[in-house]
Amino acid sequence: MKNFGHVNAATLEEAVSALRRYGNRAAVIAGGTDLLGKMKDEVLPAYPEALINIKTIPGLDFIRYEGGTLSIGALTRLEDIATNDAVRNGHAALAEAAHRTASTHLREMGTIGGNICQDIRCWYYRNPQNRFPCLRKGGGRCYAIDGDNRYHSIFGGSVEKGCYAVHPSDTAPALVALDATITTTRRAIRAEDFFQVSAAKTTVLEDDEIVSRIDLPPLVGKSAFVKFALRKAIDFPIVNCAAAIGLSRGKVRSARICLNAVHVKPYRAVKAEEAIIGKAIDEAGVESSAAAAVAGAKPMSHNAYMVPIAKAMVKRALLGCK
Amino acid sequence: MKKDDRERIVAPEHTVRADKYPLDDYTAVGKRVRRKDGYEKASGYAVYASDIQIPGMLHQKILTCPYPNARIAAIDTTRAEALPGVRAVLRYDDPELPPKADLSGHFGQAGQPHEPVLDRCGYWQGMPMGVAVAADTEEIAREALKLVRIEWEARPFNLDPVEALKAGAPLTNPESYPDGNFLLPFMHEKKVTHGDADKGFREAEQTIEFGMRRDQDTWVGPERPCGIFRWNGEYPEVWLKHQRPHLAKRQLAQFFKVGMSQVTVHCPYQGGSFGGWSQMALNMQPNVIAGILSKRTGRPVRWQFSRREDFCGAGMDNARYRVKVGFKNNGEITALHATSWFSREGLSHTDHFVENSKVINIIQESNGAICNIFTGWAIRCEQNMNCYCFSAVMNHVAEALKMDPTELALINDGCEGHAMADIAEWKRKRGFEDRDSLRECIKAGKKAMDWDAKWHLPGMKKLPSGRMHGLGMSWAHEWGDSGGSAAIGIRIERDDGTARVLGLRCDNGVCAETAYCQIAADELGFRYEDVEYRPFEEAGFAPMTPDSSTNLAVNGWAIRNAARRLKQKILEVASLPRVTERPEMGYIPPFEGYRPEDLDVRESRVFVKKDPSKSISMAELVRPAFFMGKMDVGSTEPLFAWGWQNQQGAYDISGPPGPRPIFVRQAHFVEVEVDPETGGIEVTRVTNANDVGKAVNPDAVEGQQYGGSVMGVSRVRTEEVVYCPATGVVLNGNLIDYKINTMLDCGLIDTIIVETAMGYGPYGSVGIGEDVASVVPFAFYAAVHNAIGKWVDLPATPDKVLKALGKVQEAK
Repeated sequence: MKNFGHVNAATLEEAVSALRRYGNRAAVIAGGTDLLGKMKDEVLPAYPEALINIKTIPGLDFIRYEGGTLSIGALTRLEDIATNDAVRNGHAALAEAAHRTASTHLREMGTIGGNICQDIRCWYYRNPQNRFPCLRKGGGRCYAIDGDNRYHSIFGGSVEKGCYAVHPSDTAPALVALDATITTTRRAIRAEDFFQVSAAKTTVLEDDEIVSRIDLPPLVGKSAFVKFALRKAIDFPIVNCAAAIGLSRGKVRSARICLNAVHVKPYRAVKAEEAIIGKAIDEAGVESSAAAAVAGAKPMSHNAYMVPIAKAMVKRALLGCK
Repeated sequence: MKKDDRERIVAPEHTVRADKYPLDDYTAVGKRVRRKDGYEKASGYAVYASDIQIPGMLHQKILTCPYPNARIAAIDTTRAEALPGVRAVLRYDDPELPPKADLSGHFGQAGQPHEPVLDRCGYWQGMPMGVAVAADTEEIAREALKLVRIEWEARPFNLDPVEALKAGAPLTNPESYPDGNFLLPFMHEKKVTHGDADKGFREAEQTIEFGMRRDQDTWVGPERPCGIFRWNGEYPEVWLKHQRPHLAKRQLAQFFKVGMSQVTVHCPYQGGSFGGWSQMALNMQPNVIAGILSKRTGRPVRWQFSRREDFCGAGMDNARYRVKVGFKNNGEITALHATSWFSREGLSHTDHFVENSKVINIIQESNGAICNIFTGWAIRCEQNMNCYCFSAVMNHVAEALKMDPTELALINDGCEGHAMADIAEWKRKRGFEDRDSLRECIKAGKKAMDWDAKWHLPGMKKLPSGRMHGLGMSWAHEWGDSGGSAAIGIRIERDDGTARVLGLRCDNGVCAETAYCQIAADELGFRYEDVEYRPFEEAGFAPMTPDSSTNLAVNGWAIRNAARRLKQKILEVASLPRVTERPEMGYIPPFEGYRPEDLDVRESRVFVKKDPSKSISMAELVRPAFFMGKMDVGSTEPLFAWGWQNQQGAYDISGPPGPRPIFVRQAHFVEVEVDPETGGIEVTRVTNANDVGKAVNPDAVEGQQYGGSVMGVSRVRTEEVVYCPATGVVLNGNLIDYKINTMLDCGLIDTIIVETAMGYGPYGSVGIGEDVASVVPFAFYAAVHNAIGKWVDLPATPDKVLKALGKVQEAK
């Protein structure tokens, strides 16, 4: 790995100031589980000149319930969220999503802020030495379209009509389903608006913007998270799904369902939500909702198998809310 | 067995006859002893080649080919040479480089011609070629390679053996194979016949045909390949991570035209290695280049592959098969015709029918292709194709007859065309018990996993969870007797009488060096604690190359032979008067007047057999040495002995017959649950019943069973090297995207040890290192079929399972 500058920020303001000083030639580091691997593997043609360390900023590592609202500091480690009894009881989908992320060791390092800001896992994008100068690297095409796209989007490409890489986070769909608000050094953004893909980004964050906290409103009802991956000990999802359901007299009153790893950003399955409203969470209800979730799928040449898996994940997430 | 085969036995008689252990009991062999390397490894003190740092060393990087088939049309290294910190640049057109050299650590690979040290052409993406750089840091070396200007001539490529063999297919290696992409199989002819297949098919009451395929899995060791080369004047000194350091030493001596006695080779710990890089044709390339660059710069040169470079080390089994089987309604298989299409390797796929079945009528056809995938070589064991074919045939026939595969196994178990009962006399004459190894393994395995209660016809059992339940079984003989030679010495320490085994570091598998100490301890009559395996780093005393194929079966004899010779020497010395010029120092010969045969050694003490109260410790026997003045002068002569073993290989379909039939068997059982909605396969149990003859180190046996189970499941459940179909580039060359399973993915693992003492190793032992990881995969293959009623090609990833279930359409 190349040498790089390293700035220990004492406050968020210091971190933002350092980011501005370096322009787009610096990167924020917290747990570093994604960033350092990307640097060592020579994923990017050019590397940050400096890393701005925000682990040194006090007060960003917390889990609090206030009036039913769950607040989590951006530097809170995934393992702490996964094992927090209050989160497991109050916002189960998020606790389970954190628990299913990566491995124990990585969860002890990785933070919730880093998890939602992580880069894509596309194996064309991550092939070293710029072997595939794809759209995200300033090139002119997405190599997955004609290549092996078994882990790519089944709901079309990005807003630039090019990149088909999926968003790999496990916690992101839980935050969308739980209607979280993500607070940054500039603003507060609803989770479902946070993951907006552009050519070089997976979020709406500006170059000098840092996530500081995440707030989840009280959950009236139940939530669940399910994940399908090839390995148990460590793996990114082939498909995951989070659901948050409000029930009234055995019928679904409110529903938020979000799939991930199936689209360039967390895919809120609005039609599946509409399909389950007013119905019971039973075999027929979840079947119709799951079918609605994947009705618009447009799989690529190698990933049609993800469609039945996505359908199964929606069913199981809903059944988990029963 | 052919009639005259038995006259062709040339192996030492003790490998043919049953072993008669001379002691009444074992004190170390067969016991669960403290591992010799346990503390070192668990604490992090163990030194691996990656840990070695030499003052002043440079770092070497080699360019890797970015295309699957390409030639360097033009090259300019000026900018790389000018980069500060770059000390030397070596190009393919360097006048010092010979046109071709033998860079393999496994000489004589058919179809693998000697290679250019730095090829101008690359034949797979990731192939090290073209240019090498030595620089002050690895980062500078990498930067220098980026500064090399290359005009590439990218050529058409082919990744599929069937396509590559079609008329008009683009040449995949026009320099070495200008006439076409045909590759002769390794170690056998394109077509091999055994018995009379036509007759066998005529005798058959049913015939089935089926196809199957496996995609490439690969080798990635915990430690990435590495080495350091230093010239001490005209003497090379090399630190190697290599499974065959003695062969590597020879290759280096030959290349640099020095005597082997001038070369010093260090081989530190290497943990698991599993074949692969250490054996493929190019494996000495980085060491040879490091030697050239070290000589030019006058500094040590270190190299180490990145994980992605390591992924292109060696792969296995990019193969398709077409199989026709004839059989009788009672399950007896009468004929087999198996054809393979493979890339870059082509080891036999029907040997196991000869070695451990009654099936005598066989046609094996092999269609080899040079494809632009990374080189093929045996990883985790070369028997994989044999296991796949054998298990597939047995399980497809069981399906056709609606028969329990464990019953079919016992019907077809045999040896070189004979029923086991027919060779009972052969066994008896040579001192073996007439045990039915397969029956014992199957019985134990079935009991452990409650097979009889659980087994069902394919696709017939749905669990309350909605998952489909499946059980699969696969069996084989063991094949640790692939032959080899070993030399090992044992020396007694002069002052305290403890024993030190002298052998090249033999760190492969679980507890290997510990097992050698157990044998030495029992054979010498020493306490286990008084025997240590401290590596004799030089590749002089080379135990059977630590390549895990035949270690214990060969090295066990070598160390036993050495220990027996040494013990005899100890007894002779103990009974001889000491020669000393200073009798007034009070030295009393310990057993003067006794003959060696009157004495014995137990618990590290020499004693008189008829009066064990007359005994002395080994320390008292050897006495201190090297003192001057009025000190002890009663030292013995140096006590040292060597042993060696040169062992023949086993029978295979095309080679000469081995020294003896193989009686020992193993049976493996896998239980799965298949999720019909996701295509996910959960392995809930793996049961291994291995007849190991005699478990010298039970922990080692179980360790191999655990490790082999995980590796075996992994390589057929999820592992697959993914090449981009459009560019030929490896896409998943890392440990996230290449899906190696862990313990959590394999459910409960049973380790059952069966001991029939019918092996060819000491105490009737046999190897187990490669077996489990090669047979378990196909019990998994059968279990998936048993669950869903469909055969799924390997690896059985969810896309294939869902397709087999009709839930996904063919890819467009």
